Amino acid sequence: MKFRAKIVDAACLNHFTRVSNMIAKLAKTCTLRISPEKLNFILCDRLVGGGVSMWCELEQENFFSEFQMEGVSAENNAIYLELTSENLSRALKTAQNARTLKIKLTNKHFPCLTVSVELLSMSTSSRIVTHDIPLKVIPRKLWKDFQQPSVPDADVSIYLPVLKTLKSVVEKMKNISNHLVIEANLNGELNLKIETDLVCVTTHFKDLGNPPLASDDASRDRDPAEMAEVHVDIRKLLQFLAGQQTW
Amino acid sequence: MLKCGMSGTQVKVFGKAIQALSRVSDELWLDPSEKGLALRSLNSSSSACGYVLFSSVFFEHYQWSASKEMNDDGRSLYLNCKLGMKSILPIFRCVNSFERYVEKCKIFTTSDKCKVVIQFFCRHGIKKTHNVCFQESSPLQVNFEKKMCCNTLMIQPRLLAEAMVLFSSNEDVTLAVSPLNLCLKSAHGELADLTNSVYSEMLVGPDEFDFFQVGLDTEITFCCKELKGMLIFSEAVHVPMSIHFDFPGKPVALSIVDMLLEANFILATLAGNSSRSCSPQSLCLSQAGKRSDWRQLNSKAGQRGMHKPPECISRKTTPKRLCPQGTPVKNSAAEDHGSPQLKKANLDNIHEVPRSSVGDTEEEPNSFSRRKFSSMFFGAVSSDQQEHLNQPFASLAMASDSEDD
Repeated sequence: MKFRAKIVDAACLNHFTRVSNMIAKLAKTCTLRISPEKLNFILCDRLVGGGVSMWCELEQENFFSEFQMEGVSAENNAIYLELTSENLSRALKTAQNARTLKIKLTNKHFPCLTVSVELLSMSTSSRIVTHDIPLKVIPRKLWKDFQQPSVPDADVSIYLPVLKTLKSVVEKMKNISNHLVIEANLNGELNLKIETDLVCVTTHFKDLGNPPLASDDASRDRDPAEMAEVHVDIRKLLQFLAGQQTW
Repeated sequence: MLKCGMSGTQVKVFGKAIQALSRVSDELWLDPSEKGLALRSLNSSSSACGYVLFSSVFFEHYQWSASKEMNDDGRSLYLNCKLGMKSILPIFRCVNSFERYVEKCKIFTTSDKCKVVIQFFCRHGIKKTHNVCFQESSPLQVNFEKKMCCNTLMIQPRLLAEAMVLFSSNEDVTLAVSPLNLCLKSAHGELADLTNSVYSEMLVGPDEFDFFQVGLDTEITFCCKELKGMLIFSEAVHVPMSIHFDFPGKPVALSIVDMLLEANFILATLAGNSSRSCSPQSLCLSQAGKRSDWRQLNSKAGQRGMHKPPECISRKTTPKRLCPQGTPVKNSAAEDHGSPQLKKANLDNIHEVPRSSVGDTEEEPNSFSRRKFSSMFFGAVSSDQQEHLNQPFASLAMASDSEDD
């Protein structure tokens, strides 16, 4: 198994860092899948019902100037690694003023992802910072757990309001109830509701806009004013919203 | 009687010094003299001490008059003022706004009561007065001859600060130096609790330093909490920081020197090979009240409890220790250190050492040679102690067998 990659562009590095920060906020451990064309960050909360799952795909040529990998075998040309997401985001934090960033898979007593950053400096000798992030290699028999999830057909699709506003509303609601009802319709209306024995609170968002429907979408026959609703766990929703703040 | 006054800009620097010293310890000594006002702190395991001296010209006005009555031991020559960090730190919490908001700050002590009064004269005619009671306690002096260290580096704090984000405050960090470069790295290296800790390393070339003198290729390991504190202070006063050190085991001094102030943080480092710590050597410590006195102490446990303040410098052991069989192990300070191991020992036989076996160190002198100790060497920073500094510097700290001091 081999993996070497290099980023030289500051904007790409910045983008990659922000993706990593978002992952770090969502879950403690994540799975990194390396394949010839793509890099995936996968979180799947299989243990607890109602957990947050995430599938993030990066086209490697959008980020890396150099990218070489060799998977487990020729037929299974991929590498699946498990690491603590915060370790990666902290290591990338030092790369703010970097000239280059190199990532490679190494084995220093145990498998590591070595992140090597060459920092900009005034003088001729540049500073090199190296981080060895320990990780676990995921065996092939578990790979099926990390496949791309299929997104079910939606009854309603709607553009969300400013995430910061949404986050502050949901945060206040968290103190009152553990479950939240999200309802939306095709008229661009979204409501967040919580209900307890003593109190009901609803926040209404209007004029949000809906993404255009595909021609074979079943929801074409739907009455636009009809609300579709789901119940979610507030803390999981907040966890998701917190991870979005980096954008 | 102390009486001094500062402008808003000056009190910002003063507050930053207190914040830096708060990383060392929960107690602060105010030690005024004719030269100026010194702030001192010493952490509970005696593995780090901080000293900041504001010379009398730093202040807008500064007045120190020793008390008229003189005891036999000359103790009342000094203020002997010990403050809790919890009382004083909140007063200087928002230092960054001091420049704009505070016009003047006065600090004075009252002659009869044990009280320090800090007054802020702010904009719009607002006057804030804080009365802080202090305990009478003589501060410990620190003797460390930085000029006698083989290795001296001076660096702009910004450069090191970039490296320090790699390490969390509770970690030990290793500084490895050679004539070619400086390497700052995670202390545990390849050996530690491996599965979840990131090993980080930063190499800095000699031309990034304002001054780079390496007489001895060496590696020292110490806690990065105080280093971070000093870096922040150094950036705040815009003065480069110097690092003075020698072989592992000998303390490292971080200092900034300016016309108006001088700050020194002296930190214990992990001792190197066991051969160095074979025979108990003398520890030197002097107290403010006995500034011309030197105490030679036997480092046996028995004498430790006898004097107050404790004169045996030690680093506490933590209950959970990982040590390879048969190899010396480093005992580090209780609260916030990990369990670093210096020797690249065989990892096959790692096991946890029960607490009782640490205590056994005292009973079995021959096991001293099998153990590593951090050492802390105290001496006076002030120049009038020069004559005492010719004594041999090798020192040995003892492992404490109790967790609760």
